[in-house]
Amino acid sequence: MTDVHTPSEVSAETFGEDAVPGLAGNGGNRKAEVPQASWGWFRWAWRQLTSMRTALVLLFLLALGAIPGSLLPQEGTDPASVQNYFTAHPALAPWLNHLGLFNVYAAPWFAAIYLLLFASLIGCVVPRTLRLAGTARTPPPRAPRNLSRLPHSASYSVALPAGEAADAAAAYLSGKRFRLRRPADGDQASWISAEKGYLREAGNLLFHLSLLGVLCCIAVGGLFGYKADKLMVEGQTFSDTVTSLDEWHPGRLVSGSDLAPFSITLNKFSASYYTSGQSRGEPSTFDASIDYSSSPGGPAKPYNLRINQPLNVDSTKVYLIGHGYAPEFTVTDAKGKVVYQEATPFIPQDTSTLLSDGVVKVAGATPQLGFMGVFVPSPIDVSGELQSYFPAAQDPVVSLIGYAGNLGINSGIPQSVYQLDTTAMTQLTAKPFALAVGQSYTLPDGQGKITFDGYKNWVSLQVTYDPGQVPALICGILALAGLLLSFLVRRRRLFVRSVPAGDGSLVTIGGLARTDASGGFEDEFAEVVTELRAIHGDKAVPVTAAEPPAHEVPTGRAESQAPGENQTETGA
Amino acid sequence: MLVSVNQTWATISGDFLIAALLIYSLALLAFAGDFAFGRPRRAAADRELGARGAQRARVAQLATVGAGTAAAGDAGLPDRPEGVRDGAAAAGGPADLLPAARLSAWQAVNEAGSWVRAAIGLSVLAVAAHVVAVVARGLAVHRAPWGNMYEFITALTCIAGLFFVYVMVRYRVWSLGVFVMGAIVLALGLAETLIYTAAGPLVPALQSYWLSIHVTAMTLSTGIFFVAAVLGLLYLVAQRYRRRMAAGKIDGGNGLLARIPTPEQLDKLTYRAVIFGFPIWTFGVIAGAIWADQAWGRYWGWDPVETWAFVTWVLYACYLHARATAGWRGTKSHVIQLLGFASLMTNMLVVQVFITGMHSYAGVG
Repeated sequence: MTDVHTPSEVSAETFGEDAVPGLAGNGGNRKAEVPQASWGWFRWAWRQLTSMRTALVLLFLLALGAIPGSLLPQEGTDPASVQNYFTAHPALAPWLNHLGLFNVYAAPWFAAIYLLLFASLIGCVVPRTLRLAGTARTPPPRAPRNLSRLPHSASYSVALPAGEAADAAAAYLSGKRFRLRRPADGDQASWISAEKGYLREAGNLLFHLSLLGVLCCIAVGGLFGYKADKLMVEGQTFSDTVTSLDEWHPGRLVSGSDLAPFSITLNKFSASYYTSGQSRGEPSTFDASIDYSSSPGGPAKPYNLRINQPLNVDSTKVYLIGHGYAPEFTVTDAKGKVVYQEATPFIPQDTSTLLSDGVVKVAGATPQLGFMGVFVPSPIDVSGELQSYFPAAQDPVVSLIGYAGNLGINSGIPQSVYQLDTTAMTQLTAKPFALAVGQSYTLPDGQGKITFDGYKNWVSLQVTYDPGQVPALICGILALAGLLLSFLVRRRRLFVRSVPAGDGSLVTIGGLARTDASGGFEDEFAEVVTELRAIHGDKAVPVTAAEPPAHEVPTGRAESQAPGENQTETGA
Repeated sequence: MLVSVNQTWATISGDFLIAALLIYSLALLAFAGDFAFGRPRRAAADRELGARGAQRARVAQLATVGAGTAAAGDAGLPDRPEGVRDGAAAAGGPADLLPAARLSAWQAVNEAGSWVRAAIGLSVLAVAAHVVAVVARGLAVHRAPWGNMYEFITALTCIAGLFFVYVMVRYRVWSLGVFVMGAIVLALGLAETLIYTAAGPLVPALQSYWLSIHVTAMTLSTGIFFVAAVLGLLYLVAQRYRRRMAAGKIDGGNGLLARIPTPEQLDKLTYRAVIFGFPIWTFGVIAGAIWADQAWGRYWGWDPVETWAFVTWVLYACYLHARATAGWRGTKSHVIQLLGFASLMTNMLVVQVFITGMHSYAGVG
């Protein structure tokens, strides 16, 4: 405590301890001692890991490691693009795959970085929490002998005896909720040590612990949560079971029986689009009118499902994430029997025009029939090719190519419903044929007829359950609170010494801000000095008759006419 | 939900923005004029200040821009907060040594010379016009006016302007005006010429009150980090200048670099700007996560923009830690801070525009 200006190396070894010249409470010099036994090695390794330098390097690596995931397609979010990447870069892609670069955020090396970082964090935060608990009970250190060597200091003379001046200062600082320390009984000196701002360190710890909490919450979500997708055409109902979901990504500890037993009916979906101006063709609203019941056979409740307005049922959330058109076809076979009549979802190829394509598989016909087609919501003829000029279905047309033969559905190999395997089929028409709503096309050789009856909308829903979500939010808010505390609160010490001088005493005040990140200690110190001075002045008893009465001293300004003052403002 | 654009407000917004750009440029000229012609007068003010006692100079230390490294260099070391400790104690005897009152902002501006007065007046005027432009844009489109890249840059430069005028007056760093105003004029000019986007409505994914919360926080913190980045760059320049001075490669002279604040002052200002911006950025990321959960069904999905926001956050955290680590203070920590800002800019100008993701709303190109 003697030299406040010594640059501190040791304080830097722990999280967030800003340079603290001369304040007690540093964890001692951590310069690596030579490790001796295996335990010594462990201790050495642990110290290295929990040092600030290591934490800094790990933070860097975390930032660096996160970047490839934004540049390369990722399995988790866009598996199709990963496939495309493999096709486009057959030589490079397998190497990138070995390095886990197509699934960065689940890669072992990425996990290693953040786990080491958090180990480093625990190794730093836990001892500091214990230390904070310790300092919460210990009084501040004794006042240094020479207060004028502190970064902030001031002194003035008062008419009060030294002991009374110290008592008045103690009462004042105590009223400002400083923690005080005074000389032990029998000590003749008059001094006060005062400290305040312990919340800063508490905030710092809260921040780091909350980050740890966020990580745990993410882990909980990964273990106990699930995510699923479901595509529904208007009029359809689905219940939340594994078999009825299109895609189902359970957490590691989730089974099908954990699904919430709700069901949803899609009544109607409507989309509207801007029809003019710069945003022409861009969507303005999506609206899915649904009925849902939270238990089988339970009462159905209506809900308006929109983007930014998910349905919350049994702490499971249902989101509207996509939409498209499902043209309705009726196919009759050679004998005029209806072999296919349903709305078939087509997948948009271009979100700005909703030009969509899909396939119709008629397994009930002999031979089996298949159609590949394009749904054009607002058709326009661009040099012989059908294009869509607007996403809304204003005058929809489908363009189809027919095939006959074997669809390959019964071969046992799983098939996408959006793709037609034409290897065992023959093309029926040389050119695609276009149908407007209500039109039919008679297939050659009397193989039947296909009618474009109209269309329905479909929506894709995402069903998500994440038990870690709310706790993660709470941890996030706590982290923010901790951050603010550690930035806004400053830990500071004030020391007051009074020594007999002449008829009264000389009061010296010293101040030391451990951290003054947001600034302002200087102003606080000046205010304390001014107020203390006023208090000392008010209580001052004239020692000799020649002195002016103390109550005439104007308060609130430092530059009062107390005895002995003359130096500071003379230059003005 | 189909709301039309209010063309009157859109026009007002456009006009005020052009006006703001012009006045910013004039402010920039005035700041440059202060560099070129303002010196003698201000030096006189500094001398006057000095004559009032070293205490006051020390207290108002950040005001004594250009007072030379000799005066500020001793007072402004980061480990030694500037105080009211005074050499006058050597006068001996029980002299009272008291903290002096700070100059008010008004007095400080008045003492800074006519070029600075003009520059600050113009800056305030420009920022005011800028605020009107942003607010009018919001009234024109009936939403928070930061729904695409053009609006975002317009708003963040407005924040940067506001924040900088505050910093400049609070810490009396007039000499930074030419750099910060220069950067603002550049950013705003590029936005106006390259990516101008007429007022328009939003796609459904952005129709949420979270737009006002998340993007506002991101705009605010980006504006603050913008100022911090300019300060950090100046720190590196000032540090290099000092090193070269110390090595005797250059003499002090009267040039531009002799006039900017000391590295210690810049270091402190940068730090204060970052710790102001960092919690807002953190809040913005959390608000973004909440919104992502509302709109996309997950609170964090490593979307490219999310990833880069995370990288930015980690890099600024690195800066805060580096500043507290022996051997990493000073230049190294500032390089990290600038890397953080570089990743922020990458996110804004590269990732949002060229990499397809959930955040592809920029409306550029």
